[in-house]
Amino acid sequence: MGSMKLFRLLVTGGKTTWWSYLARTGLLLLFALAAHAAANSPWEQPSASLAEQIAGVLGPGQARLTLRNISSIPTSDLPAIRRTIEDNLQARGVTVTSEDSANNIRVTLSENARERLWVAEIMQGSQTQVVMVRVDREPHLDAPSDGGVILRKQAILTTNVPVLSAMEFPGGIVALEPEQIAIFTRGADGSFTEKDLPLRRRHALTRDPRGMLLPSANGTSIEAWLPGTHCEIAYPAAQTTGDAKVQCHESDDPWPMATAPIAATSDAQPPGPQTTQVKAFFNPARNFFTGVVVPSQGVDLPAFYGGALLPRTMRNFALVIGGTDGRVQIAENGALQPLSGTGDWGSDFAALASGCKGGTQIVASSSGGGGNDSLRAYEVTGLDAVPASVPLPMNGTVTAAWESLDGKSVWATVRAPGTPGTQDSYEVDRVTANCN
Amino acid sequence: MLRRIAISCLFAALPLSAAARTRPHYGGTLRVEIAGDAWQKGGLARRLVFDGLTKFATGGAVQPALAIEWQSENNNHRWQFRLRPSVHFQDGSPLTTTDVVTSLRASCAANCPWASVHALAYSVVFTSDSPMPNLPQLLAEDEFLITGRVAAEGNASHGPVGTGAFQVSGFSNGVLALAASDTCWEGRPFVDAVEIRVHREVRDQWLDLSMGRADLVEVPAEEMRIAQQQRLNVVSLPDAELLALEAGESGAWSNQNLRSAIALSIDRAALANVIFQKQGQAAGSLLPQSLSGYAFLFSAERELNRAHELRGGLSAPPLTLAAEGAGAMQLAAQRIALNLREAGFNVQVTGSPNADLKLRALPILGNAPAPALEVLLRAAGQPQTVSADNPAALYKTERDILERETLIPLLHLPRAWASSARVRDLKLRADDSPDLADASLEVAP
Repeated sequence: MGSMKLFRLLVTGGKTTWWSYLARTGLLLLFALAAHAAANSPWEQPSASLAEQIAGVLGPGQARLTLRNISSIPTSDLPAIRRTIEDNLQARGVTVTSEDSANNIRVTLSENARERLWVAEIMQGSQTQVVMVRVDREPHLDAPSDGGVILRKQAILTTNVPVLSAMEFPGGIVALEPEQIAIFTRGADGSFTEKDLPLRRRHALTRDPRGMLLPSANGTSIEAWLPGTHCEIAYPAAQTTGDAKVQCHESDDPWPMATAPIAATSDAQPPGPQTTQVKAFFNPARNFFTGVVVPSQGVDLPAFYGGALLPRTMRNFALVIGGTDGRVQIAENGALQPLSGTGDWGSDFAALASGCKGGTQIVASSSGGGGNDSLRAYEVTGLDAVPASVPLPMNGTVTAAWESLDGKSVWATVRAPGTPGTQDSYEVDRVTANCN
Repeated sequence: MLRRIAISCLFAALPLSAAARTRPHYGGTLRVEIAGDAWQKGGLARRLVFDGLTKFATGGAVQPALAIEWQSENNNHRWQFRLRPSVHFQDGSPLTTTDVVTSLRASCAANCPWASVHALAYSVVFTSDSPMPNLPQLLAEDEFLITGRVAAEGNASHGPVGTGAFQVSGFSNGVLALAASDTCWEGRPFVDAVEIRVHREVRDQWLDLSMGRADLVEVPAEEMRIAQQQRLNVVSLPDAELLALEAGESGAWSNQNLRSAIALSIDRAALANVIFQKQGQAAGSLLPQSLSGYAFLFSAERELNRAHELRGGLSAPPLTLAAEGAGAMQLAAQRIALNLREAGFNVQVTGSPNADLKLRALPILGNAPAPALEVLLRAAGQPQTVSADNPAALYKTERDILERETLIPLLHLPRAWASSARVRDLKLRADDSPDLADASLEVAP
């Protein structure tokens, strides 16, 4: 099968952050990483390999070495690379001389769209032979987000297929993809094992796939909503090796589009449910909700891409929706009115119960510079949305945003254009807020 | 150099760049204008109406399409592709393995990269006496798109039928009308319809774009600088084509020194700078540097003295040179003829298909160098299995091919399109065609 998928999973357990690289078929990269870690210098292994090939052609003796760089390797690395190649040649009986020699070695540090290539042209008199070695590009590690802003992001996982939704469950993390559900189960030793459960459904995908994940009412399974399809996922308990299973059926039931926790007051918690929820009917052949919601908001809603529940007074919520016409409106008290200050909002936003300012903000996507989107928190007062944070740059286009189960973070999927020669990648980020 | 990635070159700070990013809208008609024919090999309509067993993703990797998985056996002598279930043609008939086999047999007749293809339950099986290491990539080519029964049998009264995102709805006054297919296995496209105005001169295309009568027009490589000056919104794919000279091996041209002299006579830098307005890269290799990483090993320099030496006292017969295509290709042919005359050749530019030298633009597809080389050689009419699995082996393969001097690389060229401000999320696929199924149109304010 031709498609390769590589998952990188980052999970925060308590205060410890640690990485686990899970390659579905990317064994080459894993091998490269291991070699990279084992060597004192990232250039040691390719230098040794190239020197061995050169020595194989040249045999013991003297040679003049020239080095040129037409790759993206920084110029500052060249002296070290040259030294490493010279040392490796020396170890194999080839002495590099600065004087004229009948033997000339011209090493070119080159690259193509996927990998680096070190090429040696070995000239002995009028004869030239060419040898070359592949050099994997170093894995890109995300830079930590700027701690000086209110919104912070943390990468949860990356993949090269769209992640429509993801959530934590007691044993790990579940990711909803268009064709499958990926379950990452945390083992007793802290490592993760991945299990992919194909989704068998009759409805064709849409080109802007949407989906949601939520725990079931009894908390023993996870429910997934996809256009025209509802699935139930049974997952193994934490640190066990049980099998995860998924069952899907056609469904036109409304999706639990927006859920918000009902905050406790300073007094005893009043009786009643701990969350409030709005369900909405999704158009399975398109990428939007029809406008019909349960419970009714007392006013006809237009078709919309998504929405968020915003607490107003105790147990009263307003529903903010992003219409397919690009307008953001707020449904409240049986009226639907435009929400001002939302001109640069994208289609994806979610409520964030930060505890800051009014307690809950809406985190909305918008276009940032250089083709990348940003997320920004907005305080909604009356019919005005006022920026409550500076924009948080994301590493690409926000393709989905949703609230976490406790409402205290917003999760977002960000699509980053593929590096040259590779597909787009998708990163799921958890965005939280600190109060200034 | 970036490759296989559709780069949106916003030459000017368009007002839209600051707008909020919303989900793609459904609806509207996308109007495209092209200079060629929509149904010719590599034509735009073929990619919209038909699918292959595999396809190239935007990044150039080969992906499942009508086949959901495949495996090779017997050292790549046998391949089995499992067909995607529940796929229907636009006329409602289900796609079967028999349809696929019929279409594939018709696509290449006696010139297929396999010896036989047959249906086996839900799979299509390819076999060959020689290994086919790059078959999944080859099957993503335009040549192997799966056409429906009507088209395959030559009865096109209702228009060609495929499984793609759009279906033919009519043709009148030079405009091919395509409607969104609601049953497409990949999902309905965002736009309701695509109108392709064919045989439209590029300058007329640009005029229509500026007047709001077109949404997507072609930008030939040599016009990219002008597009920049005119602040067009351009999507381009670098290293999309190889401009190359095909030379015969028969008669007087069986002397390799003569062919080598021709290769050394051509001033590639002048071609790139003058004819193609600095939009191409002089090439001494078949694969571009961005794909192979070793292209710099092949010199693209003009060596007139060496050409004279190689020609020596050989009296080369009068040469004819023909260029495929119009515009810059014809100018390039004239320029090459001038170079060859400077090297002592007697050259005449002609329109004859039987010319001694043919100037052609060959496709560079995908992000894997070995399959890309095999596809290129197949397009050049010099099919050869490329089974190199490492750069050194691939370099040797390419060097051996180039040493024959029957295919003389000249330039690596980009392909580009310009779109109106209302077109969103337009990308070029690795086969250089605009991905109209995933593009959408802005809602009118």
